[in-house]
Amino acid sequence: MSILDWSVLLGTILFITVYGIWRTRGAQNIEGFLKGNNREKWWTIGLSVMATQASAITFLSTPGQAYEDGMRFLQFYFGLPIAMVIICISFVPIFYRLKVYTAYEFLESRFDLKTRILAALLFLIQRGLAAGITIYAPSIILSTILGWNINLTNVVLGVLVILYTVSGGTRAVSITQKQQMAVMMGGMIMAGIIVVNLLPPYVSFPDAIQVAGEMGKLNLINFSFDWNDRYNVWSGITGGLFLFMSYFGTDQSQVARYLSGKSMGEIRLGLLFNGLLKIPMQFIILFIGVMVFVFYQFVQPPVYFNKLEKEKVYETAYAERMVKLEQTHHAIYKQKTKHIKALVKGIQSEDAGAIVNAKTNLNGFNKQEKEVRNQVKDLIKEVNPKAETRDTDYVFITFVMQHMPVGMIGLLLAVIFCASMSSTASELNALASTSLIDLYKRSVKEGGSDKHYLNMSKFFTVVWGCLAILFATLASQLDNLIQAVNILGSIFYGTILGIFVVAFYFKYIKANAVFWAAVVAETLVIFIYIRTEIGFLWLNPIGCLLVIFFGYLFQFLRSAKQ
Amino acid sequence: MQENEQEDIDKPLFFKSWKGMYWLVIGALLFQIILFYAITRYFA
Repeated sequence: MSILDWSVLLGTILFITVYGIWRTRGAQNIEGFLKGNNREKWWTIGLSVMATQASAITFLSTPGQAYEDGMRFLQFYFGLPIAMVIICISFVPIFYRLKVYTAYEFLESRFDLKTRILAALLFLIQRGLAAGITIYAPSIILSTILGWNINLTNVVLGVLVILYTVSGGTRAVSITQKQQMAVMMGGMIMAGIIVVNLLPPYVSFPDAIQVAGEMGKLNLINFSFDWNDRYNVWSGITGGLFLFMSYFGTDQSQVARYLSGKSMGEIRLGLLFNGLLKIPMQFIILFIGVMVFVFYQFVQPPVYFNKLEKEKVYETAYAERMVKLEQTHHAIYKQKTKHIKALVKGIQSEDAGAIVNAKTNLNGFNKQEKEVRNQVKDLIKEVNPKAETRDTDYVFITFVMQHMPVGMIGLLLAVIFCASMSSTASELNALASTSLIDLYKRSVKEGGSDKHYLNMSKFFTVVWGCLAILFATLASQLDNLIQAVNILGSIFYGTILGIFVVAFYFKYIKANAVFWAAVVAETLVIFIYIRTEIGFLWLNPIGCLLVIFFGYLFQFLRSAKQ
Repeated sequence: MQENEQEDIDKPLFFKSWKGMYWLVIGALLFQIILFYAITRYFA
């Protein structure tokens, strides 16, 4: 990497860290540390909510997903705007009027202490593990591509976040997230403009869109229903709705973002701002991935994007087979070139016959290309059975490192760092506030001084930060952990949401009934996950509905007995 | 729906009530789904 790239990268992340510490310096109390003294305006809340959700994987993995699978992933977000409206109507007024610090605090006033602690513990387990992955996921990719030491990357990322989160609490998290969002979106839009400019001079932007469409990458909507398909309109609206209601309504890392709002109106506007902009933001990121795909129609892509795994094969007796596969891949690409040019020519001359002809040929070559890529993956598996053969996470970063101009590489790496830091900061802040408010202050030491609780909040932030770094370090020894933690989230989210839905809408169901309903529902969700092939997104509505069903049943049986 | 005096202070942007804002968000979602469907159909 050039000095300019290093300067842009280090300058951006150090500036944001120092600015966060500087802006929130001075004396604080627990109210200020955990809720930012309720002074945030709606645009800060909206950006903070978006920055918390956008992790580094969003920027590394999403363009790669579009490269491989087109834009259909966008449907995953269709439930989000509806979830925002429901949360604004039902969740926000209650949280705001009760002046709670955490979402789980409300459960004690509605049910009892054990239900509050159950929900808080489910959150701490799930989010504690996820915080480690939020750090680990970009580190593994950056270390693979750039050759950085993965443990050092984990520690640098984690320590920077701990510094400003401990220093300024919720306010520091919100303030830094505004700049981080500016870097993220600015960087990605610039990347999109540069990708289009890197296309051959005879390919205009409309031509590029047409090429993407003709090659099946603008597959935004699918109305056909399939339980096992994660990305169609129905799974996005229903499964996504439950997932996002759980995430934004009951996950403290998001709830804390809007509890810092100046008023209920500011909170609602902030959430609706997210509801309006999230889908366009994801559209832009996916579209950049599609443009990278179009770019690689005119420039030969690597046969496999994770170069470290590929290089491992070259160090073994299988090297010759890899050389042959690379040669075959190159030959296919050479043959493809004239057909892609024919396709562009057909598009420009509006010659339907030429387009169909070129498309048929290209589809044939793309199929051959895919077969070669699969053979490469099989070879990698033969050399290292534990290797992760899904290389879509490496597509965008490989493109950035090989084709972006000097300066932009640093900026786009800053985008990835900013995304990781913003999510991790929210997670550490939420883990600390839940540990303090729902466990320590409620069950260990009641009636302590404000200063004591402030110091304990900072202590918990450091402890969770160190645990996240430790878990990120250990994560490198495990397989498919990123997916495992996503599944873990879906396993727990439905039950937590069910408890909150019962609390808001089912006054008939009381504390003991909901507690045991949650325990039974959680057990059944785990059973369903283990014993069936159902897509994990569906576990969210299933868990929620099971809590409601068993809550009703247990309450009915209890009432009948009495 | 319980609405208190806070509601009077916190008026939404552009609309007289929050319902208008909620319909804006849902309307934007529907518009996007229709737009994306048109794009998908055009290139199908």
